Amino acid sequence: MKIIRIHNELLGTYGDRGNADVLAYRAGLAGISTRVIDVSYRDAIPHDGDIYLLGGAEDAAQILSCNALSGGSLHGAVEKGAVVLAICAGFQILGKSFYANNNEVRGLGLLNVTTVPGTQRYVGDIKIHSDLLGIDLTGFENHGGKTLLGAGAQSFGSVVVGHGNGESGVDGAVSGNIFGTYLHGPVLARNPEFADLLLSRAHGSPVKVDDPLADHYAALRLRLVK
Amino acid sequence: MDQRSDREPHTRLVRPTVAYSKGMENLRLAIAIAIAKSAGFLSKSLGRGSGETLPGRVLLTLCPNAIELLSASRVIILVSGTNGKTSTTKELVTQVRTVGTVVTSGSGSNLTRGVAGALMQDSVFAVLEVDELHLPSVVAATNPALVLLLNLSRDQLHRMHEVKRVASRWHEMCKSADPSTLFVADVDDPFVNYAITGAASAVRVSFGAASGGRHPDGAVCPSCGRYLDWIEGKYHCECGLSNEYADHTYESGSAGYRNFVLASIAADMVGVHNSISNIALRTDYRGMERATEKVFAGVKARLRLTKNPASWTEALAGVVGDNVILVLNAREVDGIDTSWIWDVSYANLAGKKVVVTGERGADLAYRIHVEGVESTLVDTFDEAIALFGLGSVEVLAAYTAFFGLVNR
Repeated sequence: MKIIRIHNELLGTYGDRGNADVLAYRAGLAGISTRVIDVSYRDAIPHDGDIYLLGGAEDAAQILSCNALSGGSLHGAVEKGAVVLAICAGFQILGKSFYANNNEVRGLGLLNVTTVPGTQRYVGDIKIHSDLLGIDLTGFENHGGKTLLGAGAQSFGSVVVGHGNGESGVDGAVSGNIFGTYLHGPVLARNPEFADLLLSRAHGSPVKVDDPLADHYAALRLRLVK
Repeated sequence: MDQRSDREPHTRLVRPTVAYSKGMENLRLAIAIAIAKSAGFLSKSLGRGSGETLPGRVLLTLCPNAIELLSASRVIILVSGTNGKTSTTKELVTQVRTVGTVVTSGSGSNLTRGVAGALMQDSVFAVLEVDELHLPSVVAATNPALVLLLNLSRDQLHRMHEVKRVASRWHEMCKSADPSTLFVADVDDPFVNYAITGAASAVRVSFGAASGGRHPDGAVCPSCGRYLDWIEGKYHCECGLSNEYADHTYESGSAGYRNFVLASIAADMVGVHNSISNIALRTDYRGMERATEKVFAGVKARLRLTKNPASWTEALAGVVGDNVILVLNAREVDGIDTSWIWDVSYANLAGKKVVVTGERGADLAYRIHVEGVESTLVDTFDEAIALFGLGSVEVLAAYTAFFGLVNR
């Protein structure tokens, strides 16, 4: 299984690189061999990845990354059914447009969302309920953007604690195998069931990993974020 | 200053003493200082704290322009940066003391009130460490002779938000500072380099090729937003931002060494004799680390402050023994988000006896677990120390945990 970590030198401001490490680690426990491929800004994005990961970033870095991806390299992989997890600035890049350095920037349009400047900066612990997983997830959010869902677009979860997409009471967006969310943490470290969902989608059959320390940590965060 | 009469002090850095013309303002200041000092004394004797920040707070309440007034008659030197503020300030104080009286701020009181508190005492020099976000207002208030800018990297993002944001504030600060203020800067850090492009006078210091490679957060030019390509610690952006040119170039080395060099250059600029030539003589920089040794329940512990990706990476490289305790908290000054622990590699702890504790110990235990480092997770530091019998242990502790252990 090929896990592609996109532009971590640009999209690595908030520790989201850990999502790839968690996926590789859990896949290993499930007996699936993986390779994490770091693709830098100067490199071409491979088309044959199984999971593509994008993280949070500062404004200038977000613009650079988006420009590099706008050639359509990610679109091809998505059409082949690849799994995409995009956090914060990465999530905004997947949408139709976002604001960075006070300018509107055209996104990749893989998710039917637009992001506009928020009324405040949204900083703090966040808890959401995911209907897809049937569980609560925790993370940490730190962003100034407010994301609006387009017609028919599906959120990733409903906000229990924190802000998510802004004031609308939901977080992120989901479309097929594409997942966008504001949860840092990294989100897959704090929510192992979400990691297993992505592995299952990429693997084509259910992956359920047993790692007591991961479960202990996830349960602890769930208890403490309220 | 008779001991160094063979050399004139750096003339542009010595300001004429400003005589107070407003008698009432002086009287108000004197009364405010008297009240602030007794408040500090009272708080200390009642056991309500170290008495370090309270006097400054009282002083600023009673006399809001106290910092301006108290700065006017002395040579002000400020030190700021994400990492190394306290040890660099300490080193600078030691060096500057050879030529005149110095007041300084205690560690951890680097906000405005700490600065005000330090200035209550008379002196020729004031050497003050200042929080990165508070630096612009302290520069405006104190009109410093010299500002030493060490580095900027990710730290307490819930408060700083972005490194670029802090760099932009520094850039504006350098632009609006008095032209006589000299900025001494490590230009291997592109954020610091960008900041001083606005300064009227600056001394650029570089530590040569491969000085720790690329800046971990330096993929984007802070000046123009272009992608910044690095070749062995060197960068050169199309917009002109580059560390290929410097006024002083030294060999690369540890963070402690770099900060010692920067402190020595700053000391030279304010007239300390031999400070630069002493750089070549010094070989041990352990004194420049935020570290201390202490015995807990019979176990000899070497404590090291680790507060963000850069300082963790530096501290982990210095782990030599086989016994390690890691302590992670996430209070306000630690940074309330722990996501950054995933940007540090703990691989060199593999095979050692590692015990993890702290209020966010579980975060760290799971993070190193994924990197293949197994640890024992315990609730308290005392439980952790008890697992090491009567041996010795290296303790890497987050900010609040470090001071909790140092002060107990």
